[in-house]
Amino acid sequence: MTERMEQFDEDLDPGEYSKLSADLRALFKTLRSVPPEVDRAVYDRIHRHFAGVKSSQGKYRRFRWAALWKVAAAAAVVIFAFSLDLTKRSERVTQRPALAEIQAADIDLNGRVDILDAFTLARQIEKTGHVESRWDMNGDGLVDRRDVDTVALAAVRLDKGVL
Amino acid sequence: MEDRELIQLANTGDPDAFEALYYRYRDWIYRLAWRFTGNQQDALDVLQETFVYLLGKFPGFELTASMTTFLYPAVKHISTAIRAKRGRFTSDNGVLDELTAPTLEGQTDRNRSELATALTILPGEQREILLMRFVDDMSLQEIAAALNTPIGTVKSRLHRALHTLRYDRRTRDYFLE
Repeated sequence: MTERMEQFDEDLDPGEYSKLSADLRALFKTLRSVPPEVDRAVYDRIHRHFAGVKSSQGKYRRFRWAALWKVAAAAAVVIFAFSLDLTKRSERVTQRPALAEIQAADIDLNGRVDILDAFTLARQIEKTGHVESRWDMNGDGLVDRRDVDTVALAAVRLDKGVL
Repeated sequence: MEDRELIQLANTGDPDAFEALYYRYRDWIYRLAWRFTGNQQDALDVLQETFVYLLGKFPGFELTASMTTFLYPAVKHISTAIRAKRGRFTSDNGVLDELTAPTLEGQTDRNRSELATALTILPGEQREILLMRFVDDMSLQEIAAALNTPIGTVKSRLHRALHTLRYDRRTRDYFLE
């Protein structure tokens, strides 16, 4: 009789040790089978679990639809508000003084409108409280802080270089 | 139907698919749990607890290895917890002691008893791998994954276990052709 040698480079086949394998299986074979009460208990548990899952999935679906509607409504409100805001902004842009109107804003007469013109006008208003009506930049009949703002706005415009 | 297909169906809420998985692995788990606990009632409790644990994974369960690889550590962990809770065996040697004892009919199966005695001389980690391979029918890769152990370690432990049994007078006949 020769001894069997294992080769461990590859997976070992229990079939090659059929007697050992069979005896080990027999050794650890359970004496009794699973009682039907245990099967029934597990069966009930399975069906309860999946019924719960279905119910919570239904609730989740309803919640999801409600949430979707809320999100859609909120998005619509935001879009509407945003569009209103854009309209206002475009109005503001059109309210900005035209180039021709602000040529008079060159308060210090140095040939260009810059922030110094706004400072000069502000200082003049502050000092005297009364300035020439030609500096009524916004045409509201008064020469005040709002006209300083108009000059400052003209000074920081990107296309001020054309003045 | 393959395990993965059943799992897929169970993930969609099909209880019958899960039930099929239960009947497929019930006896395997029961046998394994009995080996870990050495007690039939505890083994039945482990069986139920294991399926409750598995059930909790649904829906959304993804099987990345084989079912036995997934179930083995769960059964082992639950068995250890139940055994500790009830203050029963501190190791699976208890099962082997029980196996070496005379059978209910008052007769001792000599081969059975000697094989069980020979197994008690193996270190726990070697015996575990031997039983996983020969009794639970798991591949070396599955054993390595289930125990989270390198496959080289699994191979060497199995090799040492077989080597010990080959040179043990009670089991050497298994290795003769």
